[in-house]
Amino acid sequence: MTISRRDFLLQSALYGGTLFVTFNVPRPHALAAAAASTKPVVLTPNQWKLVEAIAARIIPSDDEPGATEAGVVNFVDKALANEDKALLPVYKAGLAGVDAVAQKRFRSAFVALTPTEQDDVLLALESGKADGWPKSAIGAADFFAAVRAHTIFGFLCDPSYGGNRDYVGWKVVGYPGRQHHRGGYTKDQMLGKEPIVPVWKS
Amino acid sequence: LQRGPMLTPNDFVDDELKVMIRDALFSPNQLETFRPNEATPTITGRFNATADCVGGTMTHWSAWSWRFRPDDFRVLSAEGAVAGASLADWPFPYDEIEPFYEKAEWDFGVSGSGYANPFGAPRKKDYPNPPHPERVSSRRFARGAEKLGYHPFPLPVAINSRAYGGRPQCMYGGACYGFGCPVHAKATSLSVCIPKAQATGKLDLRFNVVAREITVGKDGRARSVRYLDAAGKEHEVSAKQIVVSGNSIGSSHLLLMSKSGSFPQGLANSSGLVGKNLTFHIVPAVGFTIDEPALGFTGINGHVAVDDLHPSDAKRGFIRGGVIGEPNAGTATPMFYWALAGAGAPMARSFGAPLKKFLKNFPRAILLAGVLEDLPMESNRVDLDPTVQDRFGLPVPRITHGQHPNDLAMHRWYQQKLLEIAEAAGATEKWISKVPGFTLIDESTPMNGGHVGHFMGTCRMGADAKSSVLDKWCRTHDVPNLWVVDGSCFPTSGGYNPTLTILANAYRVANHFVAEAKRQNL
Repeated sequence: MTISRRDFLLQSALYGGTLFVTFNVPRPHALAAAAASTKPVVLTPNQWKLVEAIAARIIPSDDEPGATEAGVVNFVDKALANEDKALLPVYKAGLAGVDAVAQKRFRSAFVALTPTEQDDVLLALESGKADGWPKSAIGAADFFAAVRAHTIFGFLCDPSYGGNRDYVGWKVVGYPGRQHHRGGYTKDQMLGKEPIVPVWKS
Repeated sequence: LQRGPMLTPNDFVDDELKVMIRDALFSPNQLETFRPNEATPTITGRFNATADCVGGTMTHWSAWSWRFRPDDFRVLSAEGAVAGASLADWPFPYDEIEPFYEKAEWDFGVSGSGYANPFGAPRKKDYPNPPHPERVSSRRFARGAEKLGYHPFPLPVAINSRAYGGRPQCMYGGACYGFGCPVHAKATSLSVCIPKAQATGKLDLRFNVVAREITVGKDGRARSVRYLDAAGKEHEVSAKQIVVSGNSIGSSHLLLMSKSGSFPQGLANSSGLVGKNLTFHIVPAVGFTIDEPALGFTGINGHVAVDDLHPSDAKRGFIRGGVIGEPNAGTATPMFYWALAGAGAPMARSFGAPLKKFLKNFPRAILLAGVLEDLPMESNRVDLDPTVQDRFGLPVPRITHGQHPNDLAMHRWYQQKLLEIAEAAGATEKWISKVPGFTLIDESTPMNGGHVGHFMGTCRMGADAKSSVLDKWCRTHDVPNLWVVDGSCFPTSGGYNPTLTILANAYRVANHFVAEAKRQNL
């Protein structure tokens, strides 16, 4: 089963395109790929830098880590090589679109822009009113929604998928990690009366 | 015959990317089409939260275990006819199913406090297990509800609050709704029924096979089931009695695929009603944050419920109602928190600092949701998609589903009530959660199927063969040895999660089936 571009477009347009229906090509090979390499597998070095730059504006690094420290781009690369393979052409066209919009607005590639300028481009994409966006690519807003979803997944996934490096995503949001095979929580922990030991400390 | 694999507790990982976001464990091969009405083109994808595995969708259920109220069995009599809806009474009253509710509660080890809900159905015996301990978010919800004069009570769940039935106590790992239980503390067909059936030595369980047709003999009786194995090779198994339990979508889909000379529009479909009157429930949801860790990532999927708003009252601008609970579906894991609880929250659909702030609110977030009775409509239905086929070339189920005006009015009213409870519980921020498929996006965009996983109707039961598919024993009016035993038989949906009623009804039917078999009547 694959998701055709038409389906992606329709589902994106109808439902925001960020959930179940868009990201559900079931081929669980990313684990192996993510473990094997943190170097680009399907993205070119320039596309890698571009995804990293977009992700850094979606979940910025401030006094706490953001998408960059979590290795979101590595997650995206491995997902596009495996479970989300069907999205790879959409992604490549979309990334070209981002640079086209950046050129139109600021006469520069996206990665060379200041953070404020980059946010300006992303806001234009998000609103779907991005001059320079190629007609052949999927809608700018749909593409932005897809990258945002991927960024969040790469920030918060199990580290074995190649993102959430050193658990930084889970540390930032305050999730102690997966407890199913670690015995769960006690009554007192559920009421905040006993500290919860996160997975990275035990 | 089961179309999915036999999963074991080792498969039930709490990897939310795999299980919840990509849905790659429970129904990777599911394919459906959906349209809100006949005039709108279909979209293709996976819309329903089924689990295609031995044990079925219960395998990842949240285990909320309710008895329908007596008036739920006589909605047409209680409310009168409603334009645009196909209300009907059930072909038996509450009293007839009551003993089987009790059996289901005891077999599945429901935990709760049987008499604590002043609005609940009458009962003769308490639940077998005591209520579960609470988490912070449940207490805050309960306190908010009490402030408004409601009567919060421990939510009854078929999850062990102590070792019971040869299964261990729940470990409160949090990832419950949508996940399988790695220790079988959650009662499911897989953890409760299948082992008993296997112990008889008489169970011939064939999984990873797709039933494609039920054949009928010249005598008008169902003869065999044709099914495909994983390689697509066809097999056939014959039986004296055939029971279909594929949920509302799967069961009606199989009957409709089973066309023959005597049943040109699908098996047991002389009424033309197979696939029709599909209901999914209405699920309004509100997310909010509080000023302390709510710890929604611990515990089960809901410790406390409020049922005060359930009784039907036409003065509210709609009939029927439903129960309110505090599911941790949207707070158990951080991605699903963003995806589910966050849908409708402007911060969650932004980027940069506001998005990061939203993500950091994860431990302080609480989700409230209603499970509300949607009115049956004949136009809401499952049929065979004329163009889209699955990997074996079989037509996929096409779901046509829109909302009755009563559903929309109810949804809107409950959203406001949930906001009031959030406010009373001390919300620092609150928002109406609008997840596509899980609840209405807005009133012009109907629900795209039953992501919540409540499948009811499509083979409604009744006394009259012209206006129903099944008799009161879930036997098809048309074919004497063909039974449909799941939520398909529900004439109306009730304002509670349906599974305990599906179980109780199955026990009721099984009781009759065995008695008839002993009398040599089958």
